[in-house]
Amino acid sequence: MNIKTHIQKVAQAARSWLQPNNAELKEAIDRTVKEGLFSFEDIKFQIRTLKQQIDHGQVEEWADRANINEQNNAIGQKVLCLHAGNLPLVGFQDALGTILSGADYYGKLSTKDPYLLESFLISVQKSGIDSVVQYSTELYSFETLEADKVLFAGSEQSVEPVKQSLKELKVVNNKTEYVIRTAKFSLAYISSDDAETITDLVEAIFRYGGQGCRSVAVVVSPIGLNELKCHFQDYIESFWLKNPQHRKPEPALEYQFAYNKAIGRNQAWMNHFLLQESEDFPELDFTLNWVKGDEEKLKELRFKFGSAVQAVYTSGERIDGLKTEFLSQAQTPPLWWEPDGIPVI
Amino acid sequence: MKNAQVNPFNSNLDFRQKALEIFEFQREFNPVYQRFCDALVVKEVHAEDEIPLLPIQAFKDATVLTDEHSQFNIQHSIFFQSSGTSGMTRSRHYVVDPEIYRQSIIRGMQHFYDLDEYVILAYTPGYNSNPHSSLVWMLNALIDRDSTGVSQYLELGKPLDQRLINQITDSGRKVMLFGAAFGLLDLIEISDVTLDQDSIIMETGGMKTFRREMTKQELHTQLATGFGLPESHIHSEYGMTELLSQAYSRGSLWFDPVPWMKVTIRNPKNPMEEMPVGGEGLIGVIDLANLYSCSFILTGDKGIQNDKGQFQVLGRWNPVNLRGCNFLIDSD
Repeated sequence: MNIKTHIQKVAQAARSWLQPNNAELKEAIDRTVKEGLFSFEDIKFQIRTLKQQIDHGQVEEWADRANINEQNNAIGQKVLCLHAGNLPLVGFQDALGTILSGADYYGKLSTKDPYLLESFLISVQKSGIDSVVQYSTELYSFETLEADKVLFAGSEQSVEPVKQSLKELKVVNNKTEYVIRTAKFSLAYISSDDAETITDLVEAIFRYGGQGCRSVAVVVSPIGLNELKCHFQDYIESFWLKNPQHRKPEPALEYQFAYNKAIGRNQAWMNHFLLQESEDFPELDFTLNWVKGDEEKLKELRFKFGSAVQAVYTSGERIDGLKTEFLSQAQTPPLWWEPDGIPVI
Repeated sequence: MKNAQVNPFNSNLDFRQKALEIFEFQREFNPVYQRFCDALVVKEVHAEDEIPLLPIQAFKDATVLTDEHSQFNIQHSIFFQSSGTSGMTRSRHYVVDPEIYRQSIIRGMQHFYDLDEYVILAYTPGYNSNPHSSLVWMLNALIDRDSTGVSQYLELGKPLDQRLINQITDSGRKVMLFGAAFGLLDLIEISDVTLDQDSIIMETGGMKTFRREMTKQELHTQLATGFGLPESHIHSEYGMTELLSQAYSRGSLWFDPVPWMKVTIRNPKNPMEEMPVGGEGLIGVIDLANLYSCSFILTGDKGIQNDKGQFQVLGRWNPVNLRGCNFLIDSD
């Protein structure tokens, strides 16, 4: 099969997967919701986003942009993707990119998101492409694979134990190349409190409970948290009415609230989320750190947080010396967005 | 200044009674701790494990002091400050009554060692340049206590003097050599002396130079080999700027706190909850000697505890499951 046909078949498989009458996808959504893994609203948002992108021809465009052709492809390479499970279908981009490149795809699905991606992979398997598409939720299923490349996202603490487990099972060998993503969150610079900006900001922060690396965890703005708090809360409540937060915070968040009270830090308690004025690294889940400052402060924090930052968003302003993205696309990036600034293909 | 009515070292009262009294005192007169307890809606407390532990970061972000609005207290108190690079926010611990710290040091050491048997030697590169080092204050207290004048700081960059060691041994006393971990390794490199077999090396943690990475066990093995002592004579002190009491490990990795200090391991997801024995979590400390600051501290250190109440320090706590994509084999 030539690569052009391969790309067409993969694009068609993606479109078929997203058809409303696809029983496998429907069942995957039902099981995911029933088992409490993700909310229906978050799944719907993710699938609607992917459908729009795929219907607009982004699979083919991605192949073009990556310059995949008969000479430049990954046919014959064994690529193992260790998928995370923090968002619904968070592994989709790696899986699609790997398969699109012509490589043999081996996917270790997360037990936190085992059904949705599987339904896509079933669709690809049915498409009749030549390359291998194999997946499992168990790492030992890939014993003796000796993959050419491994993709995974992890913290610095998790990298070595993961590599050790892969070595013990001979999933990798000495020549295996690793692509490790370490980005954890994104920054936003907000210079206006108009409705469009705040709506985009709320989506960027609160979608998926703020769990994605594209989610905004730190806002820098000349407007202080106290000045914006009430106005902001209305938008947040409106968002939650349509998209109830699925996961609830641990009691440590209340502890953080009490700590802020103790030291006299400005904050807003939103029951399931804490907004606080802080320049610290955003360690806790379900917190947003708000920093009153200008573009120089933004650059300072971008530098300070280093490789933990996925993206810096603005409402369209250019900031000298910083690569920025549109805030409105925080949760709806094109298929070819680059995790950690590294292209998937 | 509001005076506390309880003496943290009073052995006629049990730990629980003293902790509850100090809790009530600090809740009433320490504004930072009061706001913390109010926000957590802490009402009546009947046991020390119901007392909330203030995150140690508070010593960086606020003035943690009873009756903090009294400028007199701040202007007339000594303070300890953590070391750090420029631009870094440093912890500041005001000590209204330094005598409590002095007593905590001496009584604490006496609890584990017969101090009269020892000569204190201190090798502390990096600390001497910090005029607000609580470790240097502690060593001064121990050295000053020795009326013979033999206890002393060793000159930095100079080898251990065999004549000094012989003089101590000949006087029938034993060497207790204090030093930050890697400072001691440096001392080994430049020295060629034989310590008496009953000498003790007291490693005070604090990796002041970052040119080596090793586990605590490896460090102790190297110290034992370097000084020609059995590993059982390599001891450690667990202390910090924010605490006026210490815990000691004596030949193993397990620390014993002094009697007016209690350590628990707290669940990072819910710091009001203690971890089961052997479970990793944040080290929580009740230090009754912190009478005029805050006695109830949640550190940023990771640790475990055994069923005897001893604990190990496993390094700094790093949130492993930080937001964002994360593939974790263990939990996945």
